[in-house]
Amino acid sequence: MTTKKRASKKAAKAPKGMSALAALSVATNAKKTTAERVSALAQAPEAVMKSDENLQKLCDVVKNTDEPVEVRLEAINALATAAFAVATFEPYRNDYIATLQEVAVDPNQEIRESALGLLASEKNKFAQKKLLDGLKNPAKALVPPEKALQLLSYDVHTEAYAVARDIISNSPNELAKQEAMRLLAADPNSTKLFEKLLRDKDETREVRQVAASALNSLAPQKLQEHAREMLLDDSEYEDIQATSLSAVKQFGDDEEVAKDKALLKSVNRLSADAKSSKYKKSAKDFLAMVAEKEEK
Amino acid sequence: MKVELQINNTTNANGRFVGWSPSPCRIRITDPTGATTQTVVVKLSAVSTATGGAVVFRKTAAGTSSTTLDLSLPINGASVPFFVVGRKASISNGDVSIQARAQIANSPIVGVIRLMVRIRKNAESLTTAERDRFLAAFASLNTSGRFQDFRDMHTLLSQPQAHGAKGFLPWHRSYLLDLEREIQTIDPSVALPYWRFDQPGPKLFTLDFMGVAGPTGTVQWSATNPMQFWATDSALGVTRSPMAGWTPTTQPGPGVITEAATFALGTTYVAFRFPMELNPHGQAHTRWFGFIRSVPTAAKDPLFFLLHCNVDRLWAKWQRINGRFDPAVAASYDSAPANPGHNLPDTMWPWNGITNATDPTRPPTAPGGGMASSPCTTAPGTQPRVQQTLDYRGTISAASRLAFDYDDA
Repeated sequence: MTTKKRASKKAAKAPKGMSALAALSVATNAKKTTAERVSALAQAPEAVMKSDENLQKLCDVVKNTDEPVEVRLEAINALATAAFAVATFEPYRNDYIATLQEVAVDPNQEIRESALGLLASEKNKFAQKKLLDGLKNPAKALVPPEKALQLLSYDVHTEAYAVARDIISNSPNELAKQEAMRLLAADPNSTKLFEKLLRDKDETREVRQVAASALNSLAPQKLQEHAREMLLDDSEYEDIQATSLSAVKQFGDDEEVAKDKALLKSVNRLSADAKSSKYKKSAKDFLAMVAEKEEK
Repeated sequence: MKVELQINNTTNANGRFVGWSPSPCRIRITDPTGATTQTVVVKLSAVSTATGGAVVFRKTAAGTSSTTLDLSLPINGASVPFFVVGRKASISNGDVSIQARAQIANSPIVGVIRLMVRIRKNAESLTTAERDRFLAAFASLNTSGRFQDFRDMHTLLSQPQAHGAKGFLPWHRSYLLDLEREIQTIDPSVALPYWRFDQPGPKLFTLDFMGVAGPTGTVQWSATNPMQFWATDSALGVTRSPMAGWTPTTQPGPGVITEAATFALGTTYVAFRFPMELNPHGQAHTRWFGFIRSVPTAAKDPLFFLLHCNVDRLWAKWQRINGRFDPAVAASYDSAPANPGHNLPDTMWPWNGITNATDPTRPPTAPGGGMASSPCTTAPGTQPRVQQTLDYRGTISAASRLAFDYDDA
């Protein structure tokens, strides 16, 4: 046997060194070290689907506030891993969701965010209500507003739009504003708001970039018009021009772009004068692409 | 004199792509001027750029490979078959050419065709141009609205078709192939890259590629990255952040078993499939917070497709190591009865269009229509069957070749 083959065999034995049931036993044993338990949890998901009792053992770890947070977080992950085996996991699904709902209001924020993230992806009504309640009444908030808005955007309901608009006009912080914008990117009535935010040079670059992306979703032609104008504007920020160029390059009308001498002149200037070599290259690539299409 | 060369037996320029399996080709004389006999011998050879792909030739699919090939062509224009096999992956479309020289006075070049050895590669090994072409094509698919079908194929309602049962690997192989073929209608030079989740991803997890988590876990992209416009379900962006203590650019996914350990899970499909579905597959998903961590939202994240490309690659390599391409060999698959869509002869949802209106085990809708076609092969047709996914290289039957390959499989 070659050294390579021996090494491969040795490495290959690693996951079988501990059966799924043995791994669950270590993972749920409070006398083991946190590191041992976290490591064992990587091999425990298979055991969870062998019996209700096994599932409950892991759910108990998740729910027990006396357990180390690292172990509880990894136990949630082990359940989430098992949940990927949808058909096999089905008999255990209700208990899994009930456990997540229980720890969604856990004293530890990491645990809450972990559980709420999984519940939000399932469009769980309990989690959505908790998140929305927290936005309306910060005293009830389980997670920061930006996180709540992010998780609500997994399943956008018009009820959240009003809250998101309030946050944009009266932001508790910059991140919450950006997440509120992402949520509103599904709202056709927000087109004008995004146009305003995109063109406002006093807004942060991040806000303007999100506005550009949102506009591309809601009114792509509007973004093309603004992108062109921002590329022609000598006083515009370079990174906003780079985002504008990405929009034109990716989604613009090739024939219209090729005929637009003013636009090409501006891009040519960007390719020569941009401070960022990346933006220069992007502009050069764009001009080369236009030239190539012209040739064809 | 002039000849016409056809790669994959098509005149379609989008069919000029080969992989490691023999691609059927043909050549015929279109202008016999200068020929003095009823047949003319033509020598085929490949010409590559310094960084380009490389191909070899075969007279028959199972024959020996050679760097040149002499073929005797009738001047009446009848086609003569031959095969082309990729030996080194290309980095751009047309970076390898096949030249045909007539073996007559002065050995003139009578035909040239440019092609590409198109291979699924490790995302870390892509050139900047390859990466940018992939991102541009994927972003275009997303903005066109066509991607939403793929997102809708992978929801909680539909997932008993694809997870936690033996059809897990065949279903996802078909899913990736369908998506890849759609991307190739935008840019035929693109093949799906894969994320080696048992290795660090210093190039992949950057602003210029799959993005970097911002303070809230919303992925941030560079201003030149077209993925900044990514949207699914009408909502903007991607949520994805690594679990505490993990730096994906310098560390492999914590707890994700290695490739060697994956191959050692078992030599039969029954022994291999379920453990690998949990770890490395499930474990790689749950190393993150955000969309990718949960079945209903996982396909909203473009990284999902690179993760699954690696899952498929692991199956492909396992198949090669253990000789598991033949559906007729028991160890290649699982013969225990299962719900429709999981057994070898079954067609798979959603490509077969079957919903719960006629079969209660199927989902309520079948988004996306049939499997996308490819100018490079006729397999697997619009309604792929589980058994068609096993012999993806055409090892058992040349007609089964699905026209994709991995750089190290």
